[in-house]
Amino acid sequence: MNRKASPLLWLALALIATIALFPYLWIVLTSFKARTDILTTPPVWIKDPSLFNYTNMLFYRGFSSYLLNSAIVGLSSTAIALTVGTLAAYAFTHYKVPAGNHLFFYILATRLGPPVAYALPMYFLFSKLGLLQSHVGVIVAHATFNLVLVVWMMKTFFEEIPAEIEEAARLDGCTEWQLFSKICLPISLPGLVTAAIFIFIFSWNELLFALILSAGKTTTLPAMIPSLAMHTGTLWGEVAAAAVVQTIPVIVFTFIAQRHLIRGLTFGAVKG
Amino acid sequence: MRALTSTSEISDEGAEYEDLSAREARRFMIICIVPVIVFLLLSSLLPAVIALTDSFRNLSLTDVFQHGQFVGLDNYRLALGEESKLYHSLWLTLIFVAIVVPAQFVLGLALAKILNRDFWGRRFWITILLIPTMIAPVVVGMIWRFMLMPSFGFMTYYLNKMGLFKSVPLFSDPTTAFIALMVVDIWEWTPFMMLFMLAGLFSIPQDPIEAADIDGASTWQIFWHIELPLLRPMIILAIMFRTIDASKTFDIVHVLTEGGPGNTTELMSVFAFRTSFVSWDLGIGAAVCLLIAFFSLLVASIFYKVVSRETVERAK
Repeated sequence: MNRKASPLLWLALALIATIALFPYLWIVLTSFKARTDILTTPPVWIKDPSLFNYTNMLFYRGFSSYLLNSAIVGLSSTAIALTVGTLAAYAFTHYKVPAGNHLFFYILATRLGPPVAYALPMYFLFSKLGLLQSHVGVIVAHATFNLVLVVWMMKTFFEEIPAEIEEAARLDGCTEWQLFSKICLPISLPGLVTAAIFIFIFSWNELLFALILSAGKTTTLPAMIPSLAMHTGTLWGEVAAAAVVQTIPVIVFTFIAQRHLIRGLTFGAVKG
Repeated sequence: MRALTSTSEISDEGAEYEDLSAREARRFMIICIVPVIVFLLLSSLLPAVIALTDSFRNLSLTDVFQHGQFVGLDNYRLALGEESKLYHSLWLTLIFVAIVVPAQFVLGLALAKILNRDFWGRRFWITILLIPTMIAPVVVGMIWRFMLMPSFGFMTYYLNKMGLFKSVPLFSDPTTAFIALMVVDIWEWTPFMMLFMLAGLFSIPQDPIEAADIDGASTWQIFWHIELPLLRPMIILAIMFRTIDASKTFDIVHVLTEGGPGNTTELMSVFAFRTSFVSWDLGIGAAVCLLIAFFSLLVASIFYKVVSRETVERAK
């Protein structure tokens, strides 16, 4: 880090922030506008702010249930990925797992290829099982897809635990289960929370799996937002309101996890 | 590994004890690893096998009489044949990645250089600037669709005033539609590069920079000859992450152009999606998906090798 801030820096910052944030702020503003004020030339700021778009979107267009679906899918897939992934990461760091490298690369591979290549096979499976009308497909897809994040991230957190602590615990007669649950897991709690936040955000934001693997009543919010573009014209007020509702948790979580953003976005590959 | 070393340390307490604890460790390892294996078998291996068998069948919904028949390699022949649009979509994806990733890297590095100093509310600003990367790509797509909508969009209004896109709307011309998609992707992901480069700049040693400064090197010389080489591992990692991600771009295209006009913006993922769920030819779709998965894994494993070599070199 070098030099202190200058007026020039603040000018540059203001410019950068405008480019980065204006489109989003414009949609926030739009969400409070009346329909007649949204499609005008020249564009207008805001006259009579109202919550009409929000109530219409949530209750008349059925988005309250899509919001609930997103929460169900997000929380369930986070819980599954976290449980399965943390155990696997623990095994990878503490024991010699037979063919561990192959398994590790296989888990990584789920994130390397394009999601559509995994979504279509899952579509075949879940349509054969008749589960396309339930939450199961999307939950399993999101959990699988985010497993690598948990495994990688928890691996780096487990590796950071000093060996002396674990050896001391073992000498004191800790069983393997106690070592995991009473020593390693509590120490790695920040990692667990960070991983949970990132999986939840990824699941909450995900479009492709949701589009392919859920239908009708079980669809999540991201998959339904584009559907507000109708033949008779796009309901931009409702789109804006849905976009704001969808992004609020993401922005809140981003601020909560701000110290670990780079770790989360690179699955622990970079420690920030 | 650690379990083995620690048990060997206490082995003098008796072979029986060692045997017991080793057995317990082994049992707990199995408990840890079985869930992930079972889960992956059910969620990815089983679907892959089904997709493989279905890729040998005719599943076109428009072809009712032949539906479900075994057709051998026909789907692959169609997917790889001369009339296939697969090559076109791979080519588009290549151009897309080759332009957006370097652009994001240069802009991200520039932003990181600007922000890499002490000022009030630094962390807050960095977090705020990450909003385009953190919000849902589908929302990013909708925001830009709104900003660039013909006649009424905020940006369109000012672009029209400047005399641009007046006769032909932005998304009706293949070239401008493709450029618009790239601009949106650059807007969305530059903050990610910025965050990466900030972490890199933060981690490099300051001594050589200070020494060069004392020796009278210019800011540019320091950047070019000292900082950039030190950032190399970080840059390679960042470009790898972005390349893999950018090659999978789907959401913004789905929302902004749906691959159109025609198929002029049909990137790889969009093409695979549309083959299966717009044309409803699931047999060919399965073949295309498996080919794409194979292709991406090949590219990814090359990247993986490059990165591991980088880390080894770094460790020396």
